[in-house]
Amino acid sequence: MPIALEEILETIRMTEVEHFDIRTVTMGISLLDCRSDDLKRMKTNIYDKIMRTAAEHVATARKVESEYGISIANKRISITPMAIVADGHYPEDFIDLAKTIDRAGDELGVDYIGGFSALVQKGFTMGDRSLIKAIPETLASTKHICSSVNVASTKAGINMDAVKMMGETVKLTAEKTADRDAIGCAKLVVFANVPEDNPFIAGAFHGVSEPDVTINVGISGPGVILRAVKEAPADLDFSQLGERIKNMAFKITRAGEFIGKKVAAMQSVPYGIVDISLAPTPLPGDSVADILKAMGLEDVGATGTTAALALLNDSVKRGGLMASSHVGGMSGAFIPVSEDEGMIHAAQKGHITLEKLEAMTSVCSVGIDMAAIPGSTPASVISGLIADECAIGMTNNKTTAVRIIPVPGKEAGDMVDYGGLLGAAPIMPISNLNNSIFVDRGGRLPPPTKGINN
Amino acid sequence: MADLNEQEIRRLVEEAVQQLGANVSGDAVSQVVQEAAAKINAPANTSAPLPQQPGVQQSRIIVTAFGKNRRGILAGLTGVLAESGCDILDLSQKLLQEFFTTMLLVDISESSLPFEEIKTKVTAKGEALDLKVIIQHEAIFNAMHRV
Repeated sequence: MPIALEEILETIRMTEVEHFDIRTVTMGISLLDCRSDDLKRMKTNIYDKIMRTAAEHVATARKVESEYGISIANKRISITPMAIVADGHYPEDFIDLAKTIDRAGDELGVDYIGGFSALVQKGFTMGDRSLIKAIPETLASTKHICSSVNVASTKAGINMDAVKMMGETVKLTAEKTADRDAIGCAKLVVFANVPEDNPFIAGAFHGVSEPDVTINVGISGPGVILRAVKEAPADLDFSQLGERIKNMAFKITRAGEFIGKKVAAMQSVPYGIVDISLAPTPLPGDSVADILKAMGLEDVGATGTTAALALLNDSVKRGGLMASSHVGGMSGAFIPVSEDEGMIHAAQKGHITLEKLEAMTSVCSVGIDMAAIPGSTPASVISGLIADECAIGMTNNKTTAVRIIPVPGKEAGDMVDYGGLLGAAPIMPISNLNNSIFVDRGGRLPPPTKGINN
Repeated sequence: MADLNEQEIRRLVEEAVQQLGANVSGDAVSQVVQEAAAKINAPANTSAPLPQQPGVQQSRIIVTAFGKNRRGILAGLTGVLAESGCDILDLSQKLLQEFFTTMLLVDISESSLPFEEIKTKVTAKGEALDLKVIIQHEAIFNAMHRV
């Protein structure tokens, strides 16, 4: 059946008016074959492998953008968790390695490189400890490197020592980048049940079970879904509303998968997955919050917000799963504060709070994401928040995460502006009640019985 | 060996070592691998199979143009396409009040120009006629709108 004029115009409206784009085409590169006990040699191995493997990544993505008329916002790289690659080295060595990788990223013209990561849900290796120690300085002294640490899983429970350590690491990172409103914290995320093929930053890394090289894709289409919901009459029931979202999700996922496969094939690299998360941008109309509002809420934060997000999340999955046989990564709706215009406004007015965002975590893709809090917040409070989010993830067998920014010198009600896709964040109030005895207990918080599912 | 990726090269080396036995010298492996790689590259040199959809040809593009209606718009666009050796397979247009929209399905397989150049030429002509022109391969529409 030939393509109808209406279908072509719909596609063009999506890309030109509703900001539909491919958020990221992420090339995952295994660095396991670059290891060496000689730091200099390992730096050369890693630099050479990244430069060799991703040499055409940006150029290929640009070519595909031009040929198919769908823009690819970010070209990224993810690497094997550095704690595994560089285990046996000291924290200073990790910083050194990160700088080398950053230079490769600069020369290749990629936006971000994810994978300065450690998986410590059950305990630490020496490499894990060294990497975590190196995080603040690494994020302060590099441009493209993003860091993530997985501290909990449904199988292993929560590593409370790691939770405490990460609260302190977030604080240190904020202090190290205080001159840039703690932007280091925007590149650091703490996870429970982290997926190994996630193309989105800051949590992207190339899992050890992945092939040598692969291409994963993340789409961004809140604007498209927003139109589908906005055009729905007020008396349309939820099944039909879900149906509309599903249809749109199908189309954008197909586009994402198509583009990903092209970029992969042109570089002779196996295609991995499409992550069907709805990723908002700070552009007007490209907002997940606006979709929830369009369902009939005065603002996000109203009672009903969590239910609205659950419907959105599920409908997107239904459409996306039909569209692609390899869905992976996070594949839920992102609810970052600073990166979503509707969220920013709601947070400014005090309509959305950290407590409500925590509740929404249970039905979204990650959780507390790009939320700014007062710089005076103690590390133990941040650790407590991480523990709460991990508990939701662990118990509900889903990915959850915390990417929080304690901005030095700022108080609730102030604003920080990072520009670009990171957007602007109002400083949100957070409970400062003392939890230090709880956080200091340490050890492993046992997993739920549902983790034993064999 | 430019067209081989890292994994393919490694597989070749493994294969060579297997055939030659474990005690073979590095030079011998390198020679066998290079010969094998030359064989692989020689016949077609196809840069990996692109995901094909049934009934979709990679050589077909869709030109969409919008703007205020005026004389010579269609003639201008189709003129450039004809000059570039492109074949127009289908055309539809709509006029909503003053606003003009057209869609052309174009086969560029006979053209001597690459896609990028055709795109640049037609877009430039469109700008001269106050039109916004968008050019895309047809395959993206099939991916999005056909199950």
